[in-house]
Amino acid sequence: MAADKGIVGDMVASMLWFSAYSYSCYSAQEHSALQSFRATTAALTSSTPTAASLPVDIVIETIVATLVISLGLVLGTRPLRPIQWNVWAGKLEREGPEGFLDSEGEVNKDYVGNPFRLLEARPGFVDIRKQRKEFAEWVKNGGQIQGN
Amino acid sequence: MPSEREFQIAPLVPESIQHNSKTLYNLQSLTASLFGVSAGILGLESYSGFLFYLVFSLLTTALLYVFRVAPGASLSSSSSASRQRKGVLDTSLYFRSPYEFWAGGLLGGLAGYILTWTLFYGLVRA
Repeated sequence: MAADKGIVGDMVASMLWFSAYSYSCYSAQEHSALQSFRATTAALTSSTPTAASLPVDIVIETIVATLVISLGLVLGTRPLRPIQWNVWAGKLEREGPEGFLDSEGEVNKDYVGNPFRLLEARPGFVDIRKQRKEFAEWVKNGGQIQGN
Repeated sequence: MPSEREFQIAPLVPESIQHNSKTLYNLQSLTASLFGVSAGILGLESYSGFLFYLVFSLLTTALLYVFRVAPGASLSSSSSASRQRKGVLDTSLYFRSPYEFWAGGLLGGLAGYILTWTLFYGLVRA
Protein backbone atom coordinates (compact mmCIF):
# COMPACT_ATOMS: atom_id res chain seq x y z
CA MET A 1 0.00 0.00 0.00
CA ALA A 2 2.85 2.35 0.79
CA ALA A 3 4.25 1.82 -2.70
CA ASP A 4 0.87 2.66 -4.23
CA LYS A 5 0.67 5.87 -2.24
CA GLY A 6 4.20 6.75 -3.32
CA ILE A 7 3.36 6.28 -6.98
CA VAL A 8 0.19 8.34 -6.70
CA GLY A 9 2.17 11.02 -4.88
CA ASP A 10 4.75 11.01 -7.67
CA MET A 11 2.05 11.43 -10.26
CA VAL A 12 0.40 14.29 -8.36
CA ALA A 13 3.77 16.00 -7.89
CA SER A 14 4.54 15.58 -11.60
CA MET A 15 1.16 17.09 -12.47
CA LEU A 16 1.82 20.08 -10.21
CA TRP A 17 5.25 20.57 -11.70
CA PHE A 18 3.85 20.25 -15.17
CA SER A 19 1.53 23.16 -14.42
CA ALA A 20 4.56 25.17 -13.25
CA TYR A 21 6.26 24.16 -16.46
CA SER A 22 3.43 25.32 -18.69
CA TYR A 23 3.25 28.52 -16.64
CA SER A 24 6.93 29.20 -17.33
CA CYS A 25 6.25 28.57 -21.03
CA TYR A 26 3.43 31.11 -20.90
CA SER A 27 5.62 33.63 -19.06
CA ALA A 28 8.39 33.27 -21.63
CA GLN A 29 5.92 33.78 -24.44
CA GLU A 30 4.46 36.88 -22.79
CA HIS A 31 7.93 38.22 -22.11
CA SER A 32 9.04 37.83 -25.70
CA ALA A 33 5.81 39.42 -26.92
CA LEU A 34 6.43 42.36 -24.61
CA GLN A 35 10.03 42.60 -25.77
CA SER A 36 9.06 42.62 -29.42
CA PHE A 37 6.46 45.29 -28.68
CA ARG A 38 9.11 47.39 -26.94
CA ALA A 39 11.51 46.75 -29.80
CA THR A 40 9.03 48.03 -32.35
CA THR A 41 8.35 51.15 -30.29
CA ALA A 42 12.06 51.67 -29.69
CA ALA A 43 12.85 51.11 -33.36
CA LEU A 44 11.22 54.46 -34.07
CA THR A 45 13.97 56.20 -32.12
CA SER A 46 17.01 53.83 -32.26
CA SER A 47 17.96 51.29 -34.91
CA THR A 48 19.61 48.67 -32.64
CA PRO A 49 17.13 45.94 -31.55
CA THR A 50 17.26 44.96 -27.87
CA ALA A 51 18.47 41.42 -27.19
CA ALA A 52 15.55 39.49 -25.71
CA SER A 53 17.16 37.61 -22.84
CA LEU A 54 14.82 35.77 -20.53
CA PRO A 55 14.42 36.91 -16.91
CA VAL A 56 16.26 34.66 -14.49
CA ASP A 57 13.15 33.54 -12.59
CA ILE A 58 11.59 32.07 -15.74
CA VAL A 59 14.88 30.28 -16.50
CA ILE A 60 15.07 28.81 -12.99
CA GLU A 61 11.42 27.78 -13.06
CA THR A 62 11.84 26.04 -16.42
CA ILE A 63 14.98 24.15 -15.42
CA VAL A 64 13.68 23.05 -12.02
CA ALA A 65 10.35 21.94 -13.50
CA THR A 66 12.19 19.99 -16.22
CA LEU A 67 14.35 18.23 -13.65
CA VAL A 68 11.42 17.35 -11.39
CA ILE A 69 9.27 16.06 -14.26
CA SER A 70 12.12 13.90 -15.54
CA LEU A 71 12.62 12.60 -12.00
CA GLY A 72 8.92 11.69 -11.93
CA LEU A 73 9.27 9.92 -15.29
CA VAL A 74 12.29 7.98 -14.02
CA LEU A 75 10.40 6.91 -10.92
CA GLY A 76 7.50 5.84 -13.14
CA THR A 77 9.57 3.42 -15.23
CA ARG A 78 9.05 -0.29 -14.82
CA PRO A 79 11.70 -2.07 -12.76
CA LEU A 80 14.53 -3.57 -14.78
CA ARG A 81 15.16 -7.30 -14.92
CA PRO A 82 18.47 -9.09 -14.57
CA ILE A 83 19.77 -10.29 -17.91
CA GLN A 84 22.05 -13.06 -16.65
CA TRP A 85 20.18 -16.32 -16.51
CA ASN A 86 21.48 -17.38 -13.10
CA VAL A 87 20.67 -14.04 -11.43
CA TRP A 88 17.26 -13.89 -13.11
CA ALA A 89 16.30 -17.45 -12.23
CA GLY A 90 17.51 -16.94 -8.67
CA LYS A 91 15.31 -13.87 -8.32
CA LEU A 92 12.41 -15.87 -9.76
CA GLU A 93 12.94 -18.71 -7.29
CA ARG A 94 13.27 -16.40 -4.30
CA GLU A 95 10.55 -13.86 -4.98
CA GLY A 96 8.11 -15.53 -7.39
CA PRO A 97 5.64 -13.27 -9.19
CA GLU A 98 6.14 -10.56 -6.54
CA GLY A 99 9.58 -9.83 -7.95
CA PHE A 100 8.14 -8.88 -11.32
CA LEU A 101 5.63 -6.15 -10.53
CA ASP A 102 5.26 -3.16 -12.79
CA SER A 103 4.86 0.42 -11.61
CA GLU A 104 1.14 -0.06 -10.89
CA GLY A 105 1.87 -2.89 -8.48
CA GLU A 106 0.45 -5.63 -10.70
CA VAL A 107 2.29 -8.61 -12.10
CA ASN A 108 3.58 -7.92 -15.59
CA LYS A 109 1.68 -9.39 -18.52
CA ASP A 110 4.83 -10.88 -19.97
CA TYR A 111 5.79 -12.59 -16.72
CA VAL A 112 6.78 -16.11 -17.72
CA GLY A 113 7.22 -17.76 -14.34
CA ASN A 114 9.39 -20.77 -13.74
CA PRO A 115 11.37 -21.51 -16.91
CA PHE A 116 11.49 -25.21 -16.00
CA ARG A 117 7.80 -25.69 -15.26
CA LEU A 118 7.42 -28.04 -18.24
CA LEU A 119 10.01 -30.33 -16.72
CA GLU A 120 8.60 -30.16 -13.21
CA ALA A 121 5.03 -31.02 -14.19
CA ARG A 122 5.75 -33.88 -16.56
CA PRO A 123 2.68 -35.99 -17.32
CA GLY A 124 4.81 -39.13 -17.18
CA PHE A 125 5.25 -38.67 -13.43
CA VAL A 126 1.53 -38.51 -12.68
CA ASP A 127 0.32 -41.43 -10.54
CA ILE A 128 -2.76 -42.32 -12.54
CA ARG A 129 -3.87 -45.22 -10.32
CA LYS A 130 -3.87 -43.00 -7.25
CA GLN A 131 -5.84 -40.36 -9.08
CA ARG A 132 -8.34 -42.98 -10.24
CA LYS A 133 -8.78 -44.17 -6.66
CA GLU A 134 -9.33 -40.60 -5.50
CA PHE A 135 -11.86 -40.09 -8.26
CA ALA A 136 -13.71 -43.23 -7.24
CA GLU A 137 -13.80 -41.98 -3.64
CA TRP A 138 -15.13 -38.64 -4.78
CA VAL A 139 -17.82 -40.28 -6.86
CA LYS A 140 -18.81 -42.49 -3.94
CA ASN A 141 -19.00 -39.51 -1.56
CA GLY A 142 -20.80 -37.40 -4.10
CA GLY A 143 -23.37 -40.15 -4.63
CA GLN A 144 -23.90 -40.38 -0.86
CA ILE A 145 -24.32 -36.63 -0.59
CA GLN A 146 -26.77 -36.64 -3.47
CA GLY A 147 -28.59 -39.60 -1.98
CA ASN A 148 -29.01 -37.74 1.34
CA MET B 1 33.50 -8.93 -26.05
CA PRO B 2 32.43 -12.24 -24.52
CA SER B 3 33.03 -15.34 -26.60
CA GLU B 4 30.56 -18.06 -27.55
CA ARG B 5 31.95 -20.24 -24.79
CA GLU B 6 31.24 -17.64 -22.12
CA PHE B 7 27.66 -17.32 -23.36
CA GLN B 8 27.33 -21.08 -23.01
CA ILE B 9 28.60 -20.97 -19.45
CA ALA B 10 26.62 -17.87 -18.39
CA PRO B 11 23.56 -17.62 -20.64
CA LEU B 12 21.53 -14.44 -20.98
CA VAL B 13 17.75 -14.00 -20.93
CA PRO B 14 16.57 -12.40 -24.21
CA GLU B 15 13.23 -11.29 -22.74
CA SER B 16 14.97 -9.37 -19.98
CA ILE B 17 17.36 -7.68 -22.43
CA GLN B 18 14.39 -6.65 -24.55
CA HIS B 19 12.43 -5.42 -21.53
CA ASN B 20 15.33 -3.34 -20.22
CA SER B 21 16.21 -1.73 -23.53
CA LYS B 22 12.53 -0.97 -24.18
CA THR B 23 12.23 0.67 -20.77
CA LEU B 24 15.34 2.74 -21.42
CA TYR B 25 14.20 3.71 -24.91
CA ASN B 26 10.73 4.77 -23.73
CA LEU B 27 12.21 6.94 -21.02
CA GLN B 28 14.76 8.49 -23.40
CA SER B 29 12.23 9.40 -26.08
CA LEU B 30 9.76 10.82 -23.56
CA THR B 31 12.32 12.97 -21.79
CA ALA B 32 13.94 14.04 -25.07
CA SER B 33 10.75 15.72 -26.23
CA LEU B 34 10.35 17.26 -22.77
CA PHE B 35 13.87 18.70 -22.99
CA GLY B 36 13.06 20.04 -26.43
CA VAL B 37 10.17 21.98 -24.93
CA SER B 38 12.48 23.39 -22.25
CA ALA B 39 15.13 24.38 -24.76
CA GLY B 40 12.47 26.11 -26.84
CA ILE B 41 11.17 28.00 -23.82
CA LEU B 42 14.69 29.06 -22.86
CA GLY B 43 15.32 30.15 -26.43
CA LEU B 44 18.55 28.22 -26.88
CA GLU B 45 20.28 28.34 -30.24
CA SER B 46 22.81 26.14 -32.07
CA TYR B 47 25.53 24.54 -29.90
CA SER B 48 24.04 25.53 -26.54
CA GLY B 49 20.85 23.67 -27.46
CA PHE B 50 22.70 20.47 -28.25
CA LEU B 51 24.79 20.86 -25.12
CA PHE B 52 21.56 21.26 -23.12
CA TYR B 53 20.26 18.02 -24.61
CA LEU B 54 23.47 16.17 -23.85
CA VAL B 55 23.66 17.38 -20.25
CA PHE B 56 20.02 16.74 -19.43
CA SER B 57 19.81 13.31 -21.00
CA LEU B 58 22.96 12.22 -19.22
CA LEU B 59 21.40 13.55 -16.02
CA THR B 60 18.25 11.52 -16.65
CA THR B 61 20.30 8.41 -17.29
CA ALA B 62 22.14 9.05 -14.05
CA LEU B 63 18.79 9.33 -12.25
CA LEU B 64 17.74 6.04 -13.81
CA TYR B 65 20.99 4.54 -12.59
CA VAL B 66 20.43 5.81 -9.06
CA PHE B 67 16.81 4.70 -8.79
CA ARG B 68 16.67 1.54 -10.91
CA VAL B 69 20.13 0.08 -11.54
CA ALA B 70 21.98 0.76 -8.30
CA PRO B 71 19.39 -0.86 -5.96
CA GLY B 72 19.69 -4.11 -7.91
CA ALA B 73 23.43 -4.31 -7.35
CA SER B 74 22.79 -5.83 -3.94
CA LEU B 75 20.93 -8.66 -5.66
CA SER B 76 24.04 -10.44 -6.83
CA SER B 77 26.73 -8.90 -4.66
CA SER B 78 26.16 -11.47 -1.95
CA SER B 79 26.42 -14.40 -4.31
CA SER B 80 29.39 -13.52 -6.48
CA ALA B 81 32.71 -12.15 -5.43
CA SER B 82 33.40 -11.14 -9.03
CA ARG B 83 31.40 -7.96 -8.41
CA GLN B 84 34.33 -6.66 -6.42
CA ARG B 85 36.52 -6.13 -9.45
CA LYS B 86 33.82 -4.26 -11.36
CA GLY B 87 33.57 -0.49 -11.08
CA VAL B 88 31.26 1.72 -9.09
CA LEU B 89 29.01 2.55 -12.04
CA ASP B 90 28.34 -1.06 -12.93
CA THR B 91 25.42 -1.77 -15.28
CA SER B 92 26.30 -5.35 -16.19
CA LEU B 93 23.38 -6.73 -14.18
CA TYR B 94 20.79 -5.17 -16.49
CA PHE B 95 22.63 -4.22 -19.69
CA ARG B 96 25.11 -5.98 -21.90
CA SER B 97 27.53 -3.07 -22.07
CA PRO B 98 27.87 0.24 -20.22
CA TYR B 99 27.85 2.00 -23.59
CA GLU B 100 24.38 0.65 -24.28
CA PHE B 101 23.11 2.13 -21.03
CA TRP B 102 24.85 5.50 -20.97
CA ALA B 103 24.86 6.48 -24.65
CA GLY B 104 22.46 4.10 -26.38
CA GLY B 105 19.43 6.37 -26.28
CA LEU B 106 21.17 9.64 -27.13
CA LEU B 107 20.78 9.42 -30.89
CA GLY B 108 17.31 7.90 -30.70
CA GLY B 109 15.90 10.84 -28.76
CA LEU B 110 17.67 13.50 -30.78
CA ALA B 111 15.05 13.69 -33.54
CA GLY B 112 12.19 14.19 -31.09
CA TYR B 113 14.29 16.73 -29.22
CA ILE B 114 14.92 18.85 -32.32
CA LEU B 115 11.27 18.59 -33.31
CA THR B 116 9.91 19.99 -30.05
CA TRP B 117 12.83 22.38 -29.67
CA THR B 118 12.14 24.11 -32.98
CA LEU B 119 8.37 23.96 -32.43
CA PHE B 120 8.47 25.65 -29.04
CA TYR B 121 11.18 28.09 -30.09
CA GLY B 122 8.89 29.20 -32.88
CA LEU B 123 5.81 29.29 -30.63
CA VAL B 124 7.46 31.33 -27.88
CA ARG B 125 9.63 33.66 -29.93
CA ALA B 126 7.39 34.29 -32.91
